[in-house]
Amino acid sequence: MKQQLIQLEINNQLYEIPVTPRDLLVDVIRKKVGITGTKKGCGEGDCGACTVLMDGAPVLSCLTLAITCQGRKIITIEGLADEQGALHPIQQSFLDHGAVQCGFCTPGMILTTKALLDKNPHPDQTSIKRGIAGNICRCTGYKKIVEAIGAAADRIATREVK
Amino acid sequence: MYLDEFEYYAPKTADETFELAGRLGSQAKVLAGGTDLILNMKQSLLKPQCLIDINGVKEFQGLIYEAGKGAVIGAATKISELEHSAVLRDKYFALHQAARELGSTQVRAMATIGGNICNASPAAETSSPLVALGTKVVINSAAGERELPLEDFIIGNRKTALEQGELLVKFLLPEPAPQTASCYTNIGLRNAMEIDAVNMAVNLTLEADNRTVKVLRLVMGSVAPRPLVSVEVPALLVGQALNSNLIEKAAAAAAGEAQPISDIRATAEYRREAVFVLSRRVLQEAFNAAQEV
Ligand SMILES: Cc1cc2nc3c(=O)[nH]c(=O)nc-3n(C[C@H](O)[C@H](O)[C@H](O)COP(=O)(O)OP(=O)(O)OC[C@H]3O[C@@H](n4cnc5c(N)ncnc54)[C@H](O)[C@@H]3O)c2cc1C
Repeated sequence: MKQQLIQLEINNQLYEIPVTPRDLLVDVIRKKVGITGTKKGCGEGDCGACTVLMDGAPVLSCLTLAITCQGRKIITIEGLADEQGALHPIQQSFLDHGAVQCGFCTPGMILTTKALLDKNPHPDQTSIKRGIAGNICRCTGYKKIVEAIGAAADRIATREVK
Repeated sequence: MYLDEFEYYAPKTADETFELAGRLGSQAKVLAGGTDLILNMKQSLLKPQCLIDINGVKEFQGLIYEAGKGAVIGAATKISELEHSAVLRDKYFALHQAARELGSTQVRAMATIGGNICNASPAAETSSPLVALGTKVVINSAAGERELPLEDFIIGNRKTALEQGELLVKFLLPEPAPQTASCYTNIGLRNAMEIDAVNMAVNLTLEADNRTVKVLRLVMGSVAPRPLVSVEVPALLVGQALNSNLIEKAAAAAAGEAQPISDIRATAEYRREAVFVLSRRVLQEAFNAAQEV
């Protein structure tokens, strides 16, 4: 089928990309744009590794057609650090708490956390666990992940950074 | 997992959508959140030649509540919007609870209530509460509009009353009567991100004495091909002053009405037992809540 040019705004940068309607957002980001922090896991929406933020909401890029994303603001894990490359407090907190083992779930986990803390800056344990229920960690390092998220919330609250 | 080729349409207005749906007929599928549809297409269970993306159509979105009249929910409203709606929590608690239980944060941000109903899975989260709340659906095509009670819209396992060229456009929820409370509960293999083995919703109105049941609707999910509206529970409880003895009897009646099957999520026997426990729980919760409205 003929490719058509679409515009996607990813990490505040505009890309013109040739796609066909069936191209999934995860493949377009990884293969056509060439940024590979977004992971492809189960392909069925269960694991959350492919999570990106779309207008601030966490969505599954493996179940999203790229062509439907024109005019939306997409943030991937590469878009979270600031311009100087300083890590976002959530990223820093994951590092500090040893919440990264193999790292495959980490981009999705961190973006879901970003969306959670944007909505609920002081989540309790239950809200944290509910919030990341759609992100599976195969290393099963949930304890440290939950701690890292709690600490990130505190860090953001005291520093008042987003 | 890749998708087959298809043509993509993104109408901007309702009329444009109905025109497309009419013209493309059985070749086309409506794309809402895509959490069922794209997955089905990946698994080659569905191979539509065209997709009509309704996410750009404002008329299909949002929740409006008018005191005394009730709520209107657009079919393409996201589950996450329902989950966070204060009106829904205050007036239609069962639906608020079900929205919170659907999938994960990501799924709720993508999935729509219309998609949940049109997919017509017997285990769908929102069908039991919507039926319990007395919801009607508005169906539209280029030829015009019609309305159906939701229980007549879902006609079987993954079957709806939609005819070719028709879309579900909105849900009409009546204003709750005074002294009414609703609640929802579900059970599955784990606490989050599970497909329900059984779910259940009840909508209960009390008489002015605050004890006697005036109107009651109990709906079971995942124990029949479509939402099962209990006949026996209202027959036992309406006109009675509610107490735990009666609730126990009603729960046993509900378990008798269920038509469960055994599948990967639970055995029929387990489901029947779960219906008993869950109905006892929702009836007690709804009774307590209705006394406090
Ligand atoms: C990981 C995961 C977890 C899930 N967990 C749950 C869960 O816990 N509970 C649950 O109930 N479901 C769950 N689901 C299923 C799914 O998310 C829901 O059924 C969802 O509400 C579907 O909505 P959608 O907008 O994504 O529908 P879509 O996939 O866009 O559409 C579903 C079907 O309905 C049709 N359709 C959609 N809108 C209309 C309309 N307005 N008019 C006519 N036809 C229409 C489509 O053509 C398609 O056939 C889960 C899915 C995934 C991937």
